[in-house]
Amino acid sequence: MGLSEKPAERLPVASAPGGVFGAGTPTLLTTRLDFVVNWARRNSLWPMPFGTACCAIEMMAAAASNFDLARFGMERMSFSPRQADVLICAGRVPYKLAPVLRRIWDQMPQPKWAVSMGACASSGGVFDVYSMVQGIDTIIPVDVYVPGCPPRPEGLIYGLMMIQEKIRQERLSEHGTLRAEDPAEVARARADADEVLALSGPFGNSTRQNRVSGPTGSDASDRPDDRIP
Amino acid sequence: MTRPHRRGKQASATVDALRAAFPGAVVRDLVQSGDQHVVYIDPEHNTEVLDWLRTDPGERFNLLVDVTAVDYGDGRPLEVVYQLWSIPHRKALRVKCELPLSRLAIASVTALWSAADWLEREVYDLFGIEFRGHPDLRRILMPENYAEGHPLRKDFPLRGRFSRAEQTRRALSQDMEQYYMPEEMEGRGAPQIVPAEESPTSTPGSTGR
Amino acid sequence: MTRRTVEIPLARGAEMGMDARPAMGPLAPVDVAEPDIGSEQMLINIGPQHPATHGVLRLICELDGETVVSVTPHIGYLHSSFEKLGEYRTYNQIVPLTDRMDYLAPLIYNCAYAMAVEKLMGIEVTERCKVVRIICLELDRIFSHLLWLGTTAIDVGAFTPFLYAFQERERIYQLHEELTGARITTSATRIGGMMSDLPPGWAEGVRGFIDTFPRTLNEIDSLLTTNAIHQGRTIDIGAIGPEDAVDCGLTGPNLRASGVDYDVRKDRPYYDYETYDFEVPVGENGDCYDRYLVRMEEMRQSVAILHQALDRLPDGPINVEDPRISLPSKTDCMSDMESMIHHFKLIMDGINAPAEDCYFAVEGSKGELGMYLVGDGGPKPVRWRIRPPSFVNLSAIAKLAEGHLVADLIMINASLDIVLGEIDR
Repeated sequence: MGLSEKPAERLPVASAPGGVFGAGTPTLLTTRLDFVVNWARRNSLWPMPFGTACCAIEMMAAAASNFDLARFGMERMSFSPRQADVLICAGRVPYKLAPVLRRIWDQMPQPKWAVSMGACASSGGVFDVYSMVQGIDTIIPVDVYVPGCPPRPEGLIYGLMMIQEKIRQERLSEHGTLRAEDPAEVARARADADEVLALSGPFGNSTRQNRVSGPTGSDASDRPDDRIP
Repeated sequence: MTRPHRRGKQASATVDALRAAFPGAVVRDLVQSGDQHVVYIDPEHNTEVLDWLRTDPGERFNLLVDVTAVDYGDGRPLEVVYQLWSIPHRKALRVKCELPLSRLAIASVTALWSAADWLEREVYDLFGIEFRGHPDLRRILMPENYAEGHPLRKDFPLRGRFSRAEQTRRALSQDMEQYYMPEEMEGRGAPQIVPAEESPTSTPGSTGR
Repeated sequence: MTRRTVEIPLARGAEMGMDARPAMGPLAPVDVAEPDIGSEQMLINIGPQHPATHGVLRLICELDGETVVSVTPHIGYLHSSFEKLGEYRTYNQIVPLTDRMDYLAPLIYNCAYAMAVEKLMGIEVTERCKVVRIICLELDRIFSHLLWLGTTAIDVGAFTPFLYAFQERERIYQLHEELTGARITTSATRIGGMMSDLPPGWAEGVRGFIDTFPRTLNEIDSLLTTNAIHQGRTIDIGAIGPEDAVDCGLTGPNLRASGVDYDVRKDRPYYDYETYDFEVPVGENGDCYDRYLVRMEEMRQSVAILHQALDRLPDGPINVEDPRISLPSKTDCMSDMESMIHHFKLIMDGINAPAEDCYFAVEGSKGELGMYLVGDGGPKPVRWRIRPPSFVNLSAIAKLAEGHLVADLIMINASLDIVLGEIDR
């Protein structure tokens, strides 16, 4: 991939206030600058590996010689969030770990992206239990979800390439709004209470979890005593 | 191709010796899953019996393999289970103590085996059994500020007592900077455990079934 | 090699007091007291998200200079409530949970769980199944030790063994995938047998792996065993004697490195382990270097067991022929009414286990892996307890690390071979 590549076709936009080149439609200069900045960004992403469980082993496999994540500019796993660009949340996140995840996300400087790797990070997976966060998107904003239990290294690499594609389509003029962060939101859940409830309701097999065989379900309607709000 | 378990009593020298040494403390003994010997002992005398099993030259159960508990639900007593293994004599024994729900406390065996330290903390965390004399009894797996009870009790619902929104809110309100050193623990005294009848974990109707 | 002791000269000066100070010149300010720098202790937090803790472990260290005065481990950052979830699953449905617990050796956990349920129900598996499970157990012992080897080498500053070890691990991933369709989350066992019989050519694949694997192992061996840096970082670091090791409940390579010859495969043999010709390596000093040596030798012994198991792999059915336990073949289901009913009952109700309890232990890659099951006569257990080897092993870290340097703490933690998925469950 070289500098000669043409920038993506895009429609002229109305003036986006607050950006670096906020006023007016994109010009040749700004589109070219967009391209150069995005090209540099997307090919030197430093992942912050937030590995907890099985997915972390596949993440290590992706970094090892057979799959070699370094081919995509991710040579350096940055274990310090201060120097990282992409948070890869690989594995289950219990409630005890949720503030740690949120803090690491808050510590990462803009621009930053998040990959939710695996079923447990994306939705809680099979662990619809008392101790488990039902999807890290209730805690932090997520850009790409990689399905699988665990995803193969190819899946993770594909997810990271989708991040690269997302970066390719960004515009400097939007950065002011895209990358805005409210300091008051630090250490807060991304989703509000209603959204958390909507995202983490029982679904699929987990609606029929009960101690004894039989038709008794454990939905809120079947077992109203289960939860004291 | 299944073989029925051999029912009935099989002689075990350990159990006989234990009965002879502690005639009052052995409640009953069983043979489970074919060849596994289980001894129920009086919870008041668990440290003496276990210490004898550990040090008696004929027994020498020097490896404490596991400490755990079992809740059968329906108000039945909780069982504390000690799995013992004797490395010199190559034999296993399972020792159980039954604790009524009204008095979930038993003496700690950390003085006999250091391995009991974390195992007893885990039982305390997940079942709410108090181990008297444990040097450092506090939650180990769940967060310090966990307020929903003891998760492995049968009356504890699988998804927890609070709503997911409340659980998320409480999780993020944990103090990340908090740390803990043993010296600080000394001033805190014995942990406060709500007795089972009064605790919010045994609301009638929420048997977890 | 001698144990490193760190002395803090300033603290020593304060101890000696004014009188003990050497005589100084007339210009020296004799009335200024020595600053008591040595008494100030520092608190360092490592984790829960740290590359050297091998997972989400949090260690809070009290330091005197660089020397560790005390360590307080905090765990539970990966508590996924497996044991509670198991009470809501039928016996066969629990199998997929077991390999998510220890993702470094999934097949060992699959096998250990299935063996415990079979012990509880009194099921005797077929001869072929026994040998296949032994192949699974030993293959994953190598699988787990390789990850330990690679990551531990990184912790002492060697990156090449990590790449070599992962090359070999990729080959075991391939074998996992051929056997079960998944690389890590294998879920290979069922009560009374395996998920399916071995795919054609799989046994040859295992043989191809064990034929060439020792060469890589020797290469890694030559990179580390006599390496002065590796020896300097491991010899006499984190040593524990045999009595203390038993007292702390250590099992597996950690216990054997201290000189205690306790291996479940030898002492409580299952699946005819007593008929296999292999040795149990036992260390002397119980330090990080001995733990390293024991694991390296265990991989070689596993290769020897795999050779013998492949040689004696018998033909015959892999699942027990009991319609209450094993699923009938798909052809029978479609043509035979009785088989279809059995199929339906097995899927919808599950297998009933007697109202007894059962503790069954195997020699896992980390130590004695026990499964304690309490049945109630129904298809779901009342209690499913895992005796977690690395949970108990990790609880000794405070004792092991005391008096060592912070850098050694990382090495001691690595040498215990922990997996947080199983510690926190």
